Amino acid sequence: MIPELIIALSVGAALFGVGLYGALSQTNLVMIIMGVELILAAALVNLVAFWRYLYPDVPAAQMFVLIVMAVMAVEMAVGFGIAIARFRSRGSVEMEEARELKG
Amino acid sequence: MTMLVLTLLGPLLAALAMFTLRRMPEVLALTGAVFGFAGALGLFVAVSDGVVVSISLPFLPDFPIRLVASPLTATLSMVVATVAAMVLIYAAGYMRKDPERVRFFGTMLLFVTAMQALVLSGDWITLLAAWEMMGFASYLLIGFWYGRAGVASAAMRAFLYTRSADLGLYIGVFILIGMSGTSEIAVTLISTGTPTLVAGVLLLVAAMGKSAQVPLQDWLMRAMAGPTPVSALLHSATLVAAGAILLIRTAPMLPDGVLLVVGIVGGITAVITGLIALAERDLKRLLAASTGSQYGLMLVAIGAGAPIAALLHLIAHAAIKSSLFLGAGVFQHDRDGTGLETLAGAGRARPGIFAGFAIAALALAGIPPLAAFFSKDAIIAAALDSTAAPWLLPLALAGSVLTGAYMGRALNVLWDGDAGPVQVPVPLMTIGMGILVALATGLGLGFGALEHMLGAEIEKPGWIVPAMGLAVGLAGLILGWFVPPARLLGPLLTPAQNGFAVAGGMDGLILRPALAIAANCEAMEQRLLLAQVGTVRRIGLGTAQLAEHADAALFAFSLWVGQLSMRLGLASKFTDTNGIDAAIFGFVQRMIAAGAQARRLQSGFIHRELALTAIGIALIVAGLLAAPYYS
Repeated sequence: MIPELIIALSVGAALFGVGLYGALSQTNLVMIIMGVELILAAALVNLVAFWRYLYPDVPAAQMFVLIVMAVMAVEMAVGFGIAIARFRSRGSVEMEEARELKG
Repeated sequence: MTMLVLTLLGPLLAALAMFTLRRMPEVLALTGAVFGFAGALGLFVAVSDGVVVSISLPFLPDFPIRLVASPLTATLSMVVATVAAMVLIYAAGYMRKDPERVRFFGTMLLFVTAMQALVLSGDWITLLAAWEMMGFASYLLIGFWYGRAGVASAAMRAFLYTRSADLGLYIGVFILIGMSGTSEIAVTLISTGTPTLVAGVLLLVAAMGKSAQVPLQDWLMRAMAGPTPVSALLHSATLVAAGAILLIRTAPMLPDGVLLVVGIVGGITAVITGLIALAERDLKRLLAASTGSQYGLMLVAIGAGAPIAALLHLIAHAAIKSSLFLGAGVFQHDRDGTGLETLAGAGRARPGIFAGFAIAALALAGIPPLAAFFSKDAIIAAALDSTAAPWLLPLALAGSVLTGAYMGRALNVLWDGDAGPVQVPVPLMTIGMGILVALATGLGLGFGALEHMLGAEIEKPGWIVPAMGLAVGLAGLILGWFVPPARLLGPLLTPAQNGFAVAGGMDGLILRPALAIAANCEAMEQRLLLAQVGTVRRIGLGTAQLAEHADAALFAFSLWVGQLSMRLGLASKFTDTNGIDAAIFGFVQRMIAAGAQARRLQSGFIHRELALTAIGIALIVAGLLAAPYYS
């Protein structure tokens, strides 16, 4: 087993844990989005690490990472768009107060 | 024979159709009357050619039902049919506004049928049956307006009086049948001897009841409670006539002693009911009393040995009395009553009707050339020729004077007084009455031919009898017109107004004995049932019990079948409710409950949703990681 890969994966796992904790513990929408971003970042770290240490001759993995980054950007835009709209209409982005999606 | 059937079945079928259809009573009644009239006319024509039409239907062994159209019966049938037809035409106008017309016309037709059966009957059993039917129909008709005060009791009274006298008819008929061994009237008429005397007296009692002879005259006045067409029919040619018809038909059989009693009873009735009529304060009751008086004169003729004279007077009286009643009915409609004070001057408002009434009244008084002039002369002549002339002639003459007097009084009352408002025309009533008045006027001319047909021509009397008849009639009319009855009757006024209640009144003579007889019969029947007929009763009871057992078994079986199917139904209802329905509803209930549970997951809190997502992913990952171990 390659020691660098283990380290990289450990970093990824730490990032994922922090992101998950942030997404679940925070009540502010902006902070939740941040957590989600961290989770995605952890996934990217893992992808890059697998590509770099196991299949360095396959360029398709790099393309996959790039596409995920683009998706992250789009998701960010949508998430913050919702946050701004919420703030404009209610003056707050506290998610404890937002239960309109309740079934 | 067709004609005989038509005469009887025409009115009967019309009555049945009326009670079935419950509509168009007038049309059906007139149709029935016309058919009956056609039948009677056919019989009359056939008989006048010398043919005796008869029909014999099987009935009791040796006692078939016989209907005979001899010259006598065919003539009577013709009279009945004619008067009935005219009265029905009149009644179509008179009863126009009555809601119970179906019942009225139906009963009238039933009555006419019964009378035709009585007239045409050729054996005693048919005659008894018809006699009973007629009594019952007359009860229904007199009590037609049973809701009004006193009507029901008047009908009951009439029924009871005539019924109690009918006992005489029953016993008399049984004696006659027992004596001659046949029920045929023509055969029994030739019998003689003491039993015949007894039977004759008993028949006289029955006739006295039906024809309202003294002392049974009271019910006739009370019978005026019925509608006027009913009175017209009852008094002219039917119910009351039945008694006289019975005596006319049996006259050949009656011994001299009975004939003398008949004549004297008739003569006394003619005088007494004449006095009652003169004292009456009600037009219809006056006419009713006059009916009794006229039938009294007929009995005088029978008693004097001239039944043909009685028959002629019966025919003339049928036309006259029905005209008088129909006229009285018109006035009654105008003035809403028949009291003489109420009717004062009613004749002036209707000159036409009054003229008809006056012609009929003059005819009854015996003014030539009207119908009753001839018949009354025949009666007086018969009384004069009779061996009992010292008894009969004065009574007949007195009866004739009184006839003139009460008719004169009635005319005076109707004419003398305020005319009141002009009245609307009554076409149907006028037609019915007009034809009868015409008959009352012209019938006298046909009497000669009729006598010839009956084969008993009355000797044409000299000048003395017509002169006597005319004199008494005119004298009576003048007295009645000019002298008030109070002065005319003197001390007789009060008893006459009370209807000459002999021997404690009619109630004492008839009602109490009838009730006592009824009570005795009841007691005797009880004893008979208990003692003598015990065996029969026991057999009957045994049969009844057997039948009851079978009935109970059948009942139980059908009850069982019913209960079984009831249980089946209940069971299928149970499975339906608790099986299929419960399954479907339970499923739906669970779905709804599950939905409610699922809804609780959807809290709307984003972080909780996220946590659930994370847990889900973790579970999936765990599953994937464990895959090598379980696959």
